[in-house]
Amino acid sequence: MNAIDGTDRHVKTDDRPPPSLLAIVLDTNPHAWAHLCSTLPLSSAISNLLVFINAHLASGNTNEVAVIASHTHKAEWLYPTPKPPLPARSRNGTSSTNGSNGTSSEDSNVPENPNKYRQFAVVENAILSNVGKLLNSTTESDLASTPTTQVSGALSLALSYIAKSALLHSPVDSLGTDNPLSALADSETTHQARETLTSRILIVSVSGDLANQYIPVMNSIFAAQRKRIPIDILKLAGDTVLLQQASDATGGVYMKPERPEGLLQYLMMAFLPDATARRSLVMPSAGGVDFRAACFCHRKVVDIGFVCSVCLSIFCTPELPSNLCLTCGSYLSLRSAHTATPALIPRKKKKKKRVGGTDSATPGPGTPAGSGTPVHT
Amino acid sequence: MSASSSQALEYLELLPAQTHRKLYEQPSTALAVFRCMLPHLAKTIVMAMLYMTSPFTASDLDAWFRHDSKRERDKAISVLEQLHVVSARQDTPKHISYELNKGFGRSLRQALTGSGTHRSFGVPAQSTEERASIHFLDQYAQRQWENMLFYMVGSTVGLATANLGLDVGEGTKTLLRSGDFVRVTHGRVSITRTGFTFVLQEANAQVWSLLIVYLKHAPQLGMSETDVLSFLFMLGSLELGQEYTISTLSQTQVQMLEDLSAFGIVYRSSSTSSTFYPTRLATTLTSESGALSFSSTAGTAEAGGSLSSSGTSGARGSASKGYIIIETNYRLYAYTASLLQIAVLSLFTNLTTRFPNLVSGKLTKQSITRAVKLGISSSQILSYLTANAHPQMQKNNPVLPPTVMDQIRLWEYEGERVEPTNGYLMKEFASDHEYKDLVAYAESLGVLVWKNEGRRMLFVERLEQISLYLSKKKGER
Repeated sequence: MNAIDGTDRHVKTDDRPPPSLLAIVLDTNPHAWAHLCSTLPLSSAISNLLVFINAHLASGNTNEVAVIASHTHKAEWLYPTPKPPLPARSRNGTSSTNGSNGTSSEDSNVPENPNKYRQFAVVENAILSNVGKLLNSTTESDLASTPTTQVSGALSLALSYIAKSALLHSPVDSLGTDNPLSALADSETTHQARETLTSRILIVSVSGDLANQYIPVMNSIFAAQRKRIPIDILKLAGDTVLLQQASDATGGVYMKPERPEGLLQYLMMAFLPDATARRSLVMPSAGGVDFRAACFCHRKVVDIGFVCSVCLSIFCTPELPSNLCLTCGSYLSLRSAHTATPALIPRKKKKKKRVGGTDSATPGPGTPAGSGTPVHT
Repeated sequence: MSASSSQALEYLELLPAQTHRKLYEQPSTALAVFRCMLPHLAKTIVMAMLYMTSPFTASDLDAWFRHDSKRERDKAISVLEQLHVVSARQDTPKHISYELNKGFGRSLRQALTGSGTHRSFGVPAQSTEERASIHFLDQYAQRQWENMLFYMVGSTVGLATANLGLDVGEGTKTLLRSGDFVRVTHGRVSITRTGFTFVLQEANAQVWSLLIVYLKHAPQLGMSETDVLSFLFMLGSLELGQEYTISTLSQTQVQMLEDLSAFGIVYRSSSTSSTFYPTRLATTLTSESGALSFSSTAGTAEAGGSLSSSGTSGARGSASKGYIIIETNYRLYAYTASLLQIAVLSLFTNLTTRFPNLVSGKLTKQSITRAVKLGISSSQILSYLTANAHPQMQKNNPVLPPTVMDQIRLWEYEGERVEPTNGYLMKEFASDHEYKDLVAYAESLGVLVWKNEGRRMLFVERLEQISLYLSKKKGER
């Protein structure tokens, strides 16, 4: 009789890990890949990535994958292919629609290959044809217009796809009769109670300097943080402050391989383990993270910035037009703060303060910096 | 890894190294073993080693794993070693490194990249004949499989007169008997304890249990186990609704096709046809998503719509599966019109009312103890109820009402207070250190059942790993 207690109530201790959704954002910026072509051309990077995707699909029978290209002027779905009748919506550079499961439509035209697992063939076929389509449709004027890449758009696409898949996986939704809005409202609670889908985002980044997309990327990062979606960064070239922060804030993996040729081994070892496996592994992280922010007015990374006291927008200069905050429009006179030299607290003192702060259980080191207008991070 | 594949794993682990080596020559087999036999962490380890040029040293592996997950790591490595996927090599006394089985690594790489000319993922037939639709295949598989299940259950619950179209093949009957699922006394079929375990499993696990019995009897029929196994794994990687040619199959495998079509795992338009179709039972052998569900209500229609696309099949599978609602007052409602499901339910439920699409009844002490006397355990009942819970019930956590779960267990415990475990008692250790070391190892493997520190004794479920460990330690000294 003693064997009965509440603890062993879960008869079927389901040791099978929940399905894992991997959303890959592939930076297809031609400028950056041109620099890399001596060590790692785009074609071999994609073939490595395909092996990695297959490995991911093989790691769990219900694992899913979504691939998004972040191109110079737009973010485009590579897999799953969006459904053909595309309502043309070109806003903010993200022209593709919601990534619905268009798998069935392309199933039929995958060539039969007895040497290949069919599920792999379907994904590969879709990705390769979509990459080809994307590259062929890129015009010279597109390339000339900007040297960077639309990471922010791709990130938001990935996040919205993950949110949708999570809804589809939650038991409430599978009934189909529920009001979709109510499911949306309590999706977070059900999702956390029973892990139905673990998602993560992998950004394969080659271009640097994303400061001009600081705000949208930061917003995506916070959304990911809230939804507990780790953002893994594989930085093949260039360096951006932003992406380091992304992996740090969401608890993802950050890697900047010294030898990009060995891409596949990096992928297999560091990026393949999903959330379940990561619990028992030591994962590489960014180490020293550069937490500097970009200003809202010129999109530059700043060491010293000026913060609006109402909306917390960051500006690099106190010379605001007519003393109004550019974001929220409230009155903001920074001139006075500037004339008095910013009170930089000496390092030693700062340390002491930090100790005192934790003792008295005040919000910690952020407080003294936040009270004065000039911020030194 | 789920319940369904764990019994297949147990079977695989017991095979000799030579069989493993032969199996891993086929990329489809290597991929299937990887996909559904290995525990999650083992997959991670294999993938990390797959493209590694040098062996993985044990110290590197230690560094990769967190300190507090040593136990999981040992478990993963031990499974890998038993399946001969990974082998440990002792370079110097204190330096151990792990190496991936060469054949396995090559096959898995081929499977991932789709290279080579092994043609192990099935050769599609180019036929002009009219193809069998997926819906038809589902119906066929369901009919064959349910027939067989009903053959087992029907007579016990007194529904034998109800006719499902009893055309269970003689070969199937023999197999069920030899697997000790049913016993025939005086021409009357009665189900055994193993039979109950079988019936209460989910479809996928059922298929595996039956196939393992089939495998064990393959040598008697003059078939090679390796051939049979690799064919099964190949079946798991085929595409539903696609016709495949039998020209590349070996003699054994063609012979197998006949038996498999009797189970409903493959479909052939005639026994001499040169092509075959895998049904959903076959294509889900190595995966759990979208497994064929045996409810005659909306199940098949929905399942038919979801191709084996990895996309939403998981969600749909759960939606079409559940049909049982249990209330905290032990009342049970099952939305089903299938005779088989009703028969299974009536094994442990006191059913009272039947409507066109619903049966209702109550779980009583009497009905549960009756089931226990027949050889059904409470955990079997609970896992069956959980697995088939209605989507509305699945919103709860735990799925079943706790009172019902506890009470069912209590009812069972009233009858049996001693629980037997087969295993090995180890005693007479030379030193306390030696004893503690072995206890720790056994615990990390998860085979330790009981220990007594004062008398330096321990009881383990399985001995293979332990004896390996002991002989390894002896060698060190």
